[in-house]
Amino acid sequence: MTGLPRLERGTELMAGPSLWGFAPLFAAGMLDGPLAQYSLRVLGALLPLFLGVFLMLPRGGADRSPIRWLGAALVVLSLVLLVTFPLTSADGAVPDSAATTLWGLPQTISCYTFHALAFVSVTAAALMITARNPVYSALWFSLVLLSNSGLYLLQGADFLSASTIIVYAGAIVVTFLFVIMLAQPNGAARYDRFAREGLLSAVTGLLLSGVLIAALHLVLRTEPRGPVAGIASRPADSVVTIHAAANRNSLLASHPHVAGLGRTLFTDQVVSVEITGLLLLAAVVGAMLIAGHRTEESHDRK
Amino acid sequence: MTGNDAWLNNYLVVGALLFSLGAVGFLTRRNLIVIFLCAELMLQGVSTTLVGFSGFHGTWGGQVSAIFSLALAAAEAGVALALFVMLFKRGFSLDVSIWSDLREEDQPPVEEEPLGDEPVEKPREWPHLAPAGRLPERQSAGTSVGGAAVAGAARHEPVTAGEGAGHHG
Repeated sequence: MTGLPRLERGTELMAGPSLWGFAPLFAAGMLDGPLAQYSLRVLGALLPLFLGVFLMLPRGGADRSPIRWLGAALVVLSLVLLVTFPLTSADGAVPDSAATTLWGLPQTISCYTFHALAFVSVTAAALMITARNPVYSALWFSLVLLSNSGLYLLQGADFLSASTIIVYAGAIVVTFLFVIMLAQPNGAARYDRFAREGLLSAVTGLLLSGVLIAALHLVLRTEPRGPVAGIASRPADSVVTIHAAANRNSLLASHPHVAGLGRTLFTDQVVSVEITGLLLLAAVVGAMLIAGHRTEESHDRK
Repeated sequence: MTGNDAWLNNYLVVGALLFSLGAVGFLTRRNLIVIFLCAELMLQGVSTTLVGFSGFHGTWGGQVSAIFSLALAAAEAGVALALFVMLFKRGFSLDVSIWSDLREEDQPPVEEEPLGDEPVEKPREWPHLAPAGRLPERQSAGTSVGGAAVAGAARHEPVTAGEGAGHHG
């Protein structure tokens, strides 16, 4: 367990309180030498992913056309690039580690497990949004859920991992499949075989993920490296950090497993739990009201 | 086990990729159900981010938020699927563009790209089991099991009974 990370704000980054404060941030990032290099390399590593997604999007034609295979190969190539391609030359992309790639990790067993699960997750997501048949979309989505629950397990979120499999993959996706079979009894419809605005959407996705990853890198980069001496020496620290330290010392240490999660849920968050219960009740009543209502047409056809 | 900076970075990258892919699918697809599945994929990206932060800080807050987003997704799926069933009963299609008249009154209609003129695909022919053996013949009331065995033996040598072949042909 490394030292507690600082959450202090980088002075040169947050220029203003509003969202427009990010504009000089990215302008500075583009002009700065290593940051410009980093941003361009991130975009270059992500470009095959969204190009592959664009190629795989349905636009008529056969299901297993060679273009679709080419797109899938590009997606895999992009993920391999994320692991192997060095994104920074000078110092590590991630503080406190010697990694220069985006997905760099120390060579342990959990590193390989993480890479396998992340590969499966992102690839299944790309296949899910490009599948012609909605049934296949739902099945690929359940594969995303399975690999994501493996990722949660790597972070020690046992209960969340189990409930993702049980609730999401076991109940929600199955309900989706029921509705798909209810509403689409015969084959793929025409509107499933033609995507709209594929190129613009792929560019949007590329820019969105590039901005997200670059912002993450900028934030991680400005954090101090190495173990922090102690919280007590920084009284002006943010509330979040102090709260995290207190919880780390008390709750997670004394109840490292589901017991601690349950204690947090039913002591700190009990109002939210009650409100969530109310929300679920309202959703059940609303769903029955909406779907149970019989329209005139269907009544006439009977 | 709690993570360190490297783990947080990796989880944030996975979350960002899932979120962006969900956004791309949300923008491009026309099927209501697939659009909704893409929204769920974006929620998954957010949950991955939350779990990464939870491991990073060593607190339960991220996991609790992810559990709330799970409950939210369940409620959302229930209401949305009920809506899809009702819309399908009315319009007999899951295409989003036929519901564009639900827009505000003073808004201009959205100009959709025309669909290609490829014909609607036929229902797919799934493989089914080959019939195992031939159908058993209907036995007359008086035939016993031994008689059936004799009939089976006779089928293997049809040449012996010339008038039998004429009957069966």
